[in-house]
Amino acid sequence: MSRRISIWIAETATIFRKEWRLELRTRYALNTIALFAFTTLVVVSMTLGPVGASEEARPFLPVLLWLILLFAASAGLPRTFVHEEEAKTAIALRLSAHPSSLFCGKALYNLTLILALELLIAPLYVAMLQMPIASAARLGLTLLAGGYGLAIGSTLIAAMVAQARARGPLFAVLAFPILLPLLKFAVEATIGAVTDEPAQAFLSLIATYDAMLTIAGLMLFPAIWNP
Amino acid sequence: MPDSAAPPHAELAFADLRRSFGRLRVLRGVSGRVAAGELLLVSGSNGCGKSTLLRCLAGLMAPQRGTIECRVDGTALDVAERRYAVGFVSPDLELYPELTTLENLDFFGRLRGTDPRRGAELLDRLGLPHDRAAAALSSGMRQRLRFAWAVLHRPPVLLLDEPLQNLDEPGRVDVLELLREHLETGLAVVASPDLLDLPHVTSHLDLDS
Repeated sequence: MSRRISIWIAETATIFRKEWRLELRTRYALNTIALFAFTTLVVVSMTLGPVGASEEARPFLPVLLWLILLFAASAGLPRTFVHEEEAKTAIALRLSAHPSSLFCGKALYNLTLILALELLIAPLYVAMLQMPIASAARLGLTLLAGGYGLAIGSTLIAAMVAQARARGPLFAVLAFPILLPLLKFAVEATIGAVTDEPAQAFLSLIATYDAMLTIAGLMLFPAIWNP
Repeated sequence: MPDSAAPPHAELAFADLRRSFGRLRVLRGVSGRVAAGELLLVSGSNGCGKSTLLRCLAGLMAPQRGTIECRVDGTALDVAERRYAVGFVSPDLELYPELTTLENLDFFGRLRGTDPRRGAELLDRLGLPHDRAAAALSSGMRQRLRFAWAVLHRPPVLLLDEPLQNLDEPGRVDVLELLREHLETGLAVVASPDLLDLPHVTSHLDLDS
Protein backbone atom coordinates (compact mmCIF):
# COMPACT_ATOMS: atom_id res chain seq x y z
CA MET A 1 0.00 0.00 0.00
CA SER A 2 1.48 3.34 -1.00
CA ARG A 3 2.27 5.96 1.62
CA ARG A 4 -0.34 8.37 0.23
CA ILE A 5 -3.12 5.79 0.53
CA SER A 6 -2.13 4.86 4.09
CA ILE A 7 -2.08 8.58 5.04
CA TRP A 8 -5.51 8.99 3.43
CA ILE A 9 -6.92 6.00 5.34
CA ALA A 10 -5.43 7.27 8.62
CA GLU A 11 -6.96 10.73 8.05
CA THR A 12 -10.36 9.25 7.23
CA ALA A 13 -10.24 7.06 10.34
CA THR A 14 -9.18 10.05 12.49
CA ILE A 15 -12.15 12.11 11.27
CA PHE A 16 -14.54 9.17 11.73
CA ARG A 17 -13.33 8.66 15.33
CA LYS A 18 -13.61 12.39 16.06
CA GLU A 19 -17.19 12.47 14.77
CA TRP A 20 -18.21 9.59 17.03
CA ARG A 21 -16.34 11.04 20.01
CA LEU A 22 -18.21 14.33 19.61
CA GLU A 23 -21.49 12.50 19.07
CA LEU A 24 -21.09 10.33 22.16
CA ARG A 25 -20.45 13.48 24.22
CA THR A 26 -23.37 15.52 22.89
CA ARG A 27 -25.71 12.74 21.63
CA TYR A 28 -27.36 15.33 19.41
CA ALA A 29 -27.75 13.31 16.21
CA LEU A 30 -28.42 10.03 18.03
CA ASN A 31 -31.19 11.54 20.14
CA THR A 32 -32.72 13.53 17.28
CA ILE A 33 -32.76 10.64 14.83
CA ALA A 34 -33.92 8.03 17.32
CA LEU A 35 -36.65 10.22 18.81
CA PHE A 36 -37.93 11.32 15.41
CA ALA A 37 -37.95 7.79 14.02
CA PHE A 38 -39.51 6.25 17.11
CA THR A 39 -42.22 8.90 17.40
CA THR A 40 -43.16 8.54 13.72
CA LEU A 41 -43.15 4.77 14.03
CA VAL A 42 -45.47 4.86 17.02
CA VAL A 43 -47.86 7.30 15.30
CA VAL A 44 -47.97 5.16 12.15
CA SER A 45 -48.39 1.98 14.15
CA MET A 46 -51.14 3.38 16.39
CA THR A 47 -53.02 4.87 13.43
CA LEU A 48 -52.81 1.94 11.03
CA GLY A 49 -52.46 -0.97 13.42
CA PRO A 50 -51.07 -4.31 12.25
CA VAL A 51 -52.03 -3.74 8.61
CA GLY A 52 -49.40 -6.16 7.31
CA ALA A 53 -51.97 -8.95 7.38
CA SER A 54 -54.00 -7.18 4.69
CA GLU A 55 -52.97 -8.02 1.12
CA GLU A 56 -53.87 -4.54 -0.20
CA ALA A 57 -51.82 -2.69 2.43
CA ARG A 58 -48.56 -4.56 1.81
CA PRO A 59 -47.23 -2.43 -1.07
CA PHE A 60 -47.67 0.72 1.05
CA LEU A 61 -45.66 -0.50 4.03
CA PRO A 62 -42.23 -0.10 2.39
CA VAL A 63 -43.16 3.48 1.41
CA LEU A 64 -43.87 4.38 5.04
CA LEU A 65 -40.70 2.63 6.23
CA TRP A 66 -38.48 4.61 3.86
CA LEU A 67 -40.29 7.86 4.66
CA ILE A 68 -39.57 7.32 8.35
CA LEU A 69 -35.90 6.60 7.57
CA LEU A 70 -35.62 9.61 5.24
CA PHE A 71 -37.15 12.13 7.65
CA ALA A 72 -35.24 10.78 10.63
CA ALA A 73 -32.01 11.01 8.66
CA SER A 74 -32.89 14.54 7.50
CA ALA A 75 -33.33 15.58 11.11
CA GLY A 76 -29.86 14.48 12.22
CA LEU A 77 -27.41 14.04 9.36
CA PRO A 78 -27.08 17.67 8.14
CA ARG A 79 -25.49 18.53 11.48
CA THR A 80 -22.24 16.89 10.43
CA PHE A 81 -21.17 19.99 8.47
CA VAL A 82 -23.56 22.64 9.81
CA HIS A 83 -22.06 22.21 13.28
CA GLU A 84 -18.54 22.79 11.90
CA GLU A 85 -19.62 26.15 10.47
CA GLU A 86 -21.70 27.20 13.48
CA ALA A 87 -18.98 26.28 15.98
CA LYS A 88 -16.36 28.02 13.76
CA THR A 89 -14.29 24.83 13.63
CA ALA A 90 -14.55 24.65 9.83
CA ILE A 91 -11.49 26.90 9.31
CA ALA A 92 -9.25 24.64 11.39
CA LEU A 93 -10.56 21.62 9.50
CA ARG A 94 -10.08 23.30 6.10
CA LEU A 95 -6.44 23.99 6.95
CA SER A 96 -5.77 20.48 8.28
CA ALA A 97 -7.71 17.76 6.44
CA HIS A 98 -7.67 16.72 2.80
CA PRO A 99 -11.18 17.20 1.36
CA SER A 100 -11.57 13.60 0.14
CA SER A 101 -10.65 12.07 3.50
CA LEU A 102 -12.88 14.58 5.27
CA PHE A 103 -15.80 13.69 3.02
CA CYS A 104 -15.24 9.96 3.45
CA GLY A 105 -14.77 10.22 7.22
CA LYS A 106 -18.00 12.17 7.61
CA ALA A 107 -19.88 9.92 5.16
CA LEU A 108 -18.69 6.83 7.05
CA TYR A 109 -19.93 8.36 10.29
CA ASN A 110 -23.31 9.14 8.70
CA LEU A 111 -23.47 5.60 7.32
CA THR A 112 -22.97 4.08 10.77
CA LEU A 113 -25.68 6.39 12.13
CA ILE A 114 -28.11 5.32 9.38
CA LEU A 115 -27.30 1.63 9.85
CA ALA A 116 -27.84 1.97 13.60
CA LEU A 117 -31.16 3.68 12.89
CA GLU A 118 -32.18 0.90 10.49
CA LEU A 119 -31.18 -1.76 13.01
CA LEU A 120 -33.38 -0.05 15.59
CA ILE A 121 -36.38 0.87 13.47
CA ALA A 122 -36.73 -1.88 10.85
CA PRO A 123 -37.34 -4.80 13.29
CA LEU A 124 -39.77 -2.65 15.32
CA TYR A 125 -41.58 -1.59 12.15
CA VAL A 126 -41.87 -5.19 10.93
CA ALA A 127 -43.16 -6.30 14.33
CA MET A 128 -45.56 -3.43 15.03
CA LEU A 129 -47.16 -3.33 11.59
CA GLN A 130 -46.76 -7.09 11.05
CA MET A 131 -45.10 -6.52 7.71
CA PRO A 132 -44.54 -9.89 6.07
CA ILE A 133 -41.05 -10.58 4.76
CA ALA A 134 -40.64 -12.99 1.90
CA SER A 135 -36.86 -12.57 1.77
CA ALA A 136 -35.05 -11.25 4.83
CA ALA A 137 -31.74 -11.27 2.97
CA ARG A 138 -33.11 -9.05 0.22
CA LEU A 139 -34.66 -6.70 2.77
CA GLY A 140 -31.32 -6.50 4.59
CA LEU A 141 -29.45 -5.85 1.35
CA THR A 142 -31.94 -3.16 0.35
CA LEU A 143 -31.63 -1.44 3.73
CA LEU A 144 -27.83 -1.60 3.48
CA ALA A 145 -27.64 -0.24 -0.07
CA GLY A 146 -30.38 2.34 0.48
CA GLY A 147 -28.82 3.43 3.76
CA TYR A 148 -25.45 3.86 2.04
CA GLY A 149 -27.03 6.13 -0.58
CA LEU A 150 -28.85 8.12 2.09
CA ALA A 151 -25.61 8.58 4.02
CA ILE A 152 -23.50 9.67 1.02
CA GLY A 153 -26.26 11.89 -0.40
CA SER A 154 -26.95 13.50 2.98
CA THR A 155 -23.24 14.15 3.56
CA LEU A 156 -22.90 15.90 0.21
CA ILE A 157 -26.09 17.93 0.72
CA ALA A 158 -25.03 18.82 4.28
CA ALA A 159 -21.74 20.21 2.94
CA MET A 160 -23.65 22.42 0.48
CA VAL A 161 -26.22 23.50 3.06
CA ALA A 162 -23.54 24.43 5.62
CA GLN A 163 -22.24 27.17 3.30
CA ALA A 164 -25.67 28.81 3.04
CA ARG A 165 -27.63 31.06 5.35
CA ALA A 166 -31.09 29.43 5.13
CA ARG A 167 -29.83 26.04 6.24
CA GLY A 168 -33.06 24.46 7.49
CA PRO A 169 -35.26 24.65 4.38
CA LEU A 170 -32.31 24.26 2.01
CA PHE A 171 -31.61 20.68 3.08
CA ALA A 172 -35.15 19.64 2.17
CA VAL A 173 -35.01 21.54 -1.14
CA LEU A 174 -31.72 19.91 -2.17
CA ALA A 175 -32.53 16.47 -0.74
CA PHE A 176 -35.73 16.15 -2.77
CA PRO A 177 -34.17 15.92 -6.27
CA ILE A 178 -30.99 14.16 -5.14
CA LEU A 179 -32.54 11.47 -2.93
CA LEU A 180 -35.88 10.97 -4.72
CA PRO A 181 -34.59 8.43 -7.30
CA LEU A 182 -32.81 6.51 -4.54
CA LEU A 183 -35.96 6.36 -2.43
CA LYS A 184 -38.04 5.21 -5.40
CA PHE A 185 -35.60 2.34 -6.11
CA ALA A 186 -35.34 1.46 -2.39
CA VAL A 187 -39.13 1.34 -2.00
CA GLU A 188 -39.52 -0.88 -5.09
CA ALA A 189 -36.75 -3.21 -3.92
CA THR A 190 -38.34 -3.42 -0.46
CA ILE A 191 -41.73 -4.21 -2.01
CA GLY A 192 -39.96 -7.05 -3.81
CA ALA A 193 -38.57 -8.31 -0.51
CA VAL A 194 -42.04 -8.13 1.07
CA THR A 195 -44.09 -9.68 -1.74
CA ASP A 196 -41.39 -11.98 -3.18
CA GLU A 197 -41.72 -10.38 -6.58
CA PRO A 198 -38.50 -10.11 -8.60
CA ALA A 199 -36.77 -6.81 -7.81
CA GLN A 200 -33.15 -7.47 -8.77
CA ALA A 201 -33.28 -4.60 -11.24
CA PHE A 202 -34.09 -2.13 -8.46
CA LEU A 203 -31.25 -3.44 -6.29
CA SER A 204 -28.91 -2.91 -9.24
CA LEU A 205 -30.31 0.58 -9.70
CA ILE A 206 -29.66 1.38 -6.03
CA ALA A 207 -26.09 0.11 -6.37
CA THR A 208 -25.59 2.22 -9.51
CA TYR A 209 -27.06 5.29 -7.84
CA ASP A 210 -24.85 4.71 -4.78
CA ALA A 211 -21.79 4.57 -7.02
CA MET A 212 -22.87 7.77 -8.82
CA LEU A 213 -23.41 9.59 -5.52
CA THR A 214 -19.99 8.44 -4.26
CA ILE A 215 -18.19 9.63 -7.38
CA ALA A 216 -20.16 12.89 -7.47
CA GLY A 217 -19.43 13.45 -3.78
CA LEU A 218 -15.69 12.89 -4.15
CA MET A 219 -15.55 15.14 -7.23
CA LEU A 220 -17.79 17.95 -6.01
CA PHE A 221 -16.88 18.08 -2.35
CA PRO A 222 -13.49 19.85 -2.70
CA ALA A 223 -15.16 22.69 -4.62
CA ILE A 224 -18.04 22.91 -2.13
CA TRP A 225 -15.77 22.78 0.91
CA ASN A 226 -13.18 25.27 -0.33
CA PRO A 227 -15.20 27.86 -2.27
CA MET B 1 3.18 18.53 6.97
CA PRO B 2 5.29 16.10 9.01
CA ASP B 3 8.17 17.12 11.24
CA SER B 4 11.47 17.13 9.44
CA ALA B 5 15.07 17.62 10.49
CA ALA B 6 15.87 20.52 8.14
CA PRO B 7 13.43 23.40 8.50
CA PRO B 8 11.83 24.39 5.20
CA HIS B 9 12.67 27.77 3.72
CA ALA B 10 9.56 29.72 2.78
CA GLU B 11 8.79 32.85 0.79
CA LEU B 12 5.43 34.51 0.37
CA ALA B 13 4.71 37.19 -2.23
CA PHE B 14 1.39 38.71 -3.20
CA ALA B 15 0.66 41.35 -5.77
CA ASP B 16 -2.30 43.56 -6.66
CA LEU B 17 -4.78 41.60 -4.50
CA ARG B 18 -8.35 42.81 -4.91
CA ARG B 19 -11.41 41.53 -3.13
CA SER B 20 -14.92 42.97 -2.86
CA PHE B 21 -18.03 41.87 -0.99
CA GLY B 22 -20.90 43.00 -3.16
CA ARG B 23 -20.28 46.68 -3.80
CA LEU B 24 -17.92 47.01 -0.86
CA ARG B 25 -14.32 47.01 -2.06
CA VAL B 26 -12.17 45.69 0.76
CA LEU B 27 -8.80 44.92 -0.82
CA ARG B 28 -7.77 47.44 -3.49
CA GLY B 29 -4.58 46.21 -5.07
CA VAL B 30 -2.55 45.10 -2.05
CA SER B 31 1.01 43.88 -2.59
CA GLY B 32 3.76 42.61 -0.33
CA ARG B 33 6.60 40.17 0.08
CA VAL B 34 8.03 38.33 3.07
CA ALA B 35 10.72 35.67 3.36
CA ALA B 36 11.92 33.23 6.03
CA GLY B 37 13.05 34.98 9.19
CA GLU B 38 10.94 38.03 8.41
CA LEU B 39 7.73 39.40 9.85
CA LEU B 40 5.33 41.53 7.84
CA LEU B 41 3.07 43.68 10.02
CA VAL B 42 -0.27 44.55 8.41
CA SER B 43 -2.02 47.42 10.15
CA GLY B 44 -5.08 49.52 9.52
CA SER B 45 -8.40 50.50 10.99
CA ASN B 46 -11.34 48.13 11.47
CA GLY B 47 -12.82 46.99 8.18
CA CYS B 48 -9.80 47.94 6.08
CA GLY B 49 -9.28 44.32 4.96
CA LYS B 50 -6.60 42.90 7.27
CA SER B 51 -8.54 39.71 8.02
CA THR B 52 -9.59 39.36 4.38
CA LEU B 53 -5.95 39.64 3.30
CA LEU B 54 -4.89 36.92 5.76
CA ARG B 55 -7.75 34.67 4.65
CA CYS B 56 -6.66 35.09 1.04
CA LEU B 57 -3.04 34.32 1.95
CA ALA B 58 -4.15 31.20 3.88
CA GLY B 59 -6.13 29.92 0.89
CA LEU B 60 -9.43 30.23 2.72
CA MET B 61 -10.73 32.85 0.30
CA ALA B 62 -9.90 33.51 -3.32
CA PRO B 63 -8.98 37.04 -4.31
CA GLN B 64 -10.91 38.36 -7.29
CA ARG B 65 -7.73 39.72 -8.82
CA GLY B 66 -4.03 39.50 -8.14
CA THR B 67 -1.54 36.75 -7.47
CA ILE B 68 -0.31 34.93 -4.38
CA GLU B 69 2.89 32.95 -4.64
CA CYS B 70 4.09 30.81 -1.76
CA ARG B 71 7.36 28.92 -2.19
CA VAL B 72 8.74 26.35 0.23
CA ASP B 73 12.29 25.22 -0.46
CA GLY B 74 12.00 26.81 -3.89
CA THR B 75 8.86 24.87 -4.86
CA ALA B 76 5.76 26.91 -5.64
CA LEU B 77 2.72 25.64 -3.71
CA ASP B 78 -0.76 25.52 -5.16
CA VAL B 79 -3.63 26.78 -3.04
CA ALA B 80 -4.39 23.33 -1.56
CA GLU B 81 -0.75 22.82 -0.58
CA ARG B 82 -0.60 26.34 0.82
CA ARG B 83 -3.41 25.54 3.27
CA TYR B 84 -1.27 22.82 4.87
CA ALA B 85 1.83 25.01 4.91
CA VAL B 86 0.29 27.78 7.01
CA GLY B 87 -0.43 28.17 10.67
CA PHE B 88 -3.37 30.49 11.17
CA VAL B 89 -4.61 32.39 14.21
CA SER B 90 -7.85 34.31 13.90
CA PRO B 91 -10.75 35.38 16.12
CA ASP B 92 -12.97 33.47 13.64
CA LEU B 93 -11.20 30.18 14.34
CA GLU B 94 -12.31 27.90 17.15
CA LEU B 95 -11.37 24.38 18.14
CA TYR B 96 -13.93 21.74 19.14
CA PRO B 97 -15.60 22.95 22.35
CA GLU B 98 -16.63 19.39 23.32
CA LEU B 99 -13.04 18.10 23.21
CA THR B 100 -10.32 18.80 25.75
CA THR B 101 -7.33 20.92 24.79
CA LEU B 102 -5.13 17.83 24.39
CA GLU B 103 -7.78 15.92 22.42
CA ASN B 104 -8.09 18.88 20.05
CA LEU B 105 -4.36 19.06 19.43
CA ASP B 106 -4.13 15.28 19.20
CA PHE B 107 -6.89 15.23 16.56
CA PHE B 108 -5.31 17.94 14.42
CA GLY B 109 -1.84 16.51 15.01
CA ARG B 110 -2.98 13.17 13.61
CA LEU B 111 -4.44 14.91 10.56
CA ARG B 112 -1.19 16.78 10.03
CA GLY B 113 1.10 13.87 10.82
CA THR B 114 2.97 15.58 13.65
CA ASP B 115 4.84 14.03 16.56
CA PRO B 116 2.20 12.78 19.06
CA ARG B 117 4.09 14.48 21.96
CA ARG B 118 4.07 17.91 20.28
CA GLY B 119 0.55 18.83 21.46
CA ALA B 120 1.28 18.14 25.13
CA GLU B 121 4.58 20.04 24.90
CA LEU B 122 2.85 23.10 23.46
CA LEU B 123 0.11 23.01 26.09
CA ASP B 124 2.76 22.91 28.82
CA ARG B 125 4.69 25.78 27.26
CA LEU B 126 1.56 27.89 27.00
CA GLY B 127 0.38 27.03 30.51
CA LEU B 128 -2.81 25.31 29.40
CA PRO B 129 -4.41 22.35 31.21
CA HIS B 130 -4.49 19.14 29.17
CA ASP B 131 -7.85 17.84 30.30
CA ARG B 132 -10.10 20.89 30.22
CA ALA B 133 -12.78 21.09 27.53
CA ALA B 134 -12.14 23.91 25.07
CA ALA B 135 -15.62 25.23 25.90
CA ALA B 136 -14.52 25.76 29.51
CA LEU B 137 -11.48 27.89 28.63
CA SER B 138 -11.38 31.64 29.20
CA SER B 139 -11.02 33.87 26.14
CA GLY B 140 -7.31 34.34 26.85
CA MET B 141 -6.77 30.60 27.21
CA ARG B 142 -8.67 30.00 23.97
CA GLN B 143 -6.30 32.43 22.26
CA ARG B 144 -3.31 30.48 23.61
CA LEU B 145 -4.90 27.26 22.34
CA ARG B 146 -5.34 28.83 18.89
CA PHE B 147 -1.64 29.65 18.89
CA ALA B 148 -0.73 26.11 19.96
CA TRP B 149 -2.89 24.79 17.12
CA ALA B 150 -1.26 27.15 14.63
CA VAL B 151 2.32 26.08 15.39
CA LEU B 152 1.48 22.42 16.03
CA HIS B 153 2.81 21.21 12.67
CA ARG B 154 5.78 23.64 12.62
CA PRO B 155 4.45 25.46 9.56
CA PRO B 156 6.87 27.51 7.49
CA VAL B 157 4.27 30.30 7.24
CA LEU B 158 2.39 31.83 10.19
CA LEU B 159 -0.58 34.10 9.53
CA LEU B 160 -1.71 35.82 12.72
CA ASP B 161 -4.83 37.94 12.90
CA GLU B 162 -4.72 39.96 16.12
CA PRO B 163 -2.57 37.32 17.88
CA LEU B 164 -2.27 39.12 21.20
CA GLN B 165 -6.01 39.67 21.61
CA ASN B 166 -7.31 38.78 25.12
CA LEU B 167 -3.88 37.66 26.35
CA ASP B 168 -2.59 38.62 29.78
CA GLU B 169 1.06 39.56 30.24
CA PRO B 170 2.36 35.97 30.83
CA GLY B 171 0.33 34.85 27.81
CA ARG B 172 1.86 37.59 25.64
CA VAL B 173 5.34 36.57 26.76
CA ASP B 174 4.71 32.89 25.97
CA VAL B 175 3.16 33.61 22.58
CA LEU B 176 5.88 36.08 21.59
CA GLU B 177 8.52 33.54 22.58
CA LEU B 178 6.91 30.95 20.29
CA LEU B 179 6.74 33.57 17.54
CA ARG B 180 10.42 34.39 18.00
CA GLU B 181 11.29 30.69 17.74
CA HIS B 182 9.18 30.36 14.63
CA LEU B 183 10.96 33.29 12.99
CA GLU B 184 14.32 31.52 13.35
CA THR B 185 13.29 29.45 10.34
CA GLY B 186 9.84 30.57 9.17
CA LEU B 187 8.02 33.72 8.16
CA ALA B 188 5.03 35.48 9.64
CA VAL B 189 2.37 37.95 8.60
CA VAL B 190 0.68 39.65 11.55
CA ALA B 191 -2.47 41.73 11.23
CA SER B 192 -3.35 44.20 13.95
CA PRO B 193 -5.17 47.52 14.21
CA ASP B 194 -2.33 48.76 16.44
CA LEU B 195 1.35 49.01 15.69
CA LEU B 196 2.31 46.17 18.00
CA ASP B 197 5.64 46.05 19.69
CA LEU B 198 6.60 42.81 17.96
CA PRO B 199 10.08 41.36 17.49
CA HIS B 200 11.60 40.97 14.03
CA VAL B 201 9.21 43.31 12.20
CA THR B 202 10.96 43.67 8.88
CA SER B 203 8.27 45.34 6.84
CA HIS B 204 5.02 47.15 7.40
CA LEU B 205 1.92 47.31 5.24
CA ASP B 206 -0.63 49.97 6.18
CA LEU B 207 -3.95 49.18 4.54
CA ASP B 208 -5.36 52.60 5.45
CA SER B 209 -2.90 54.40 3.26
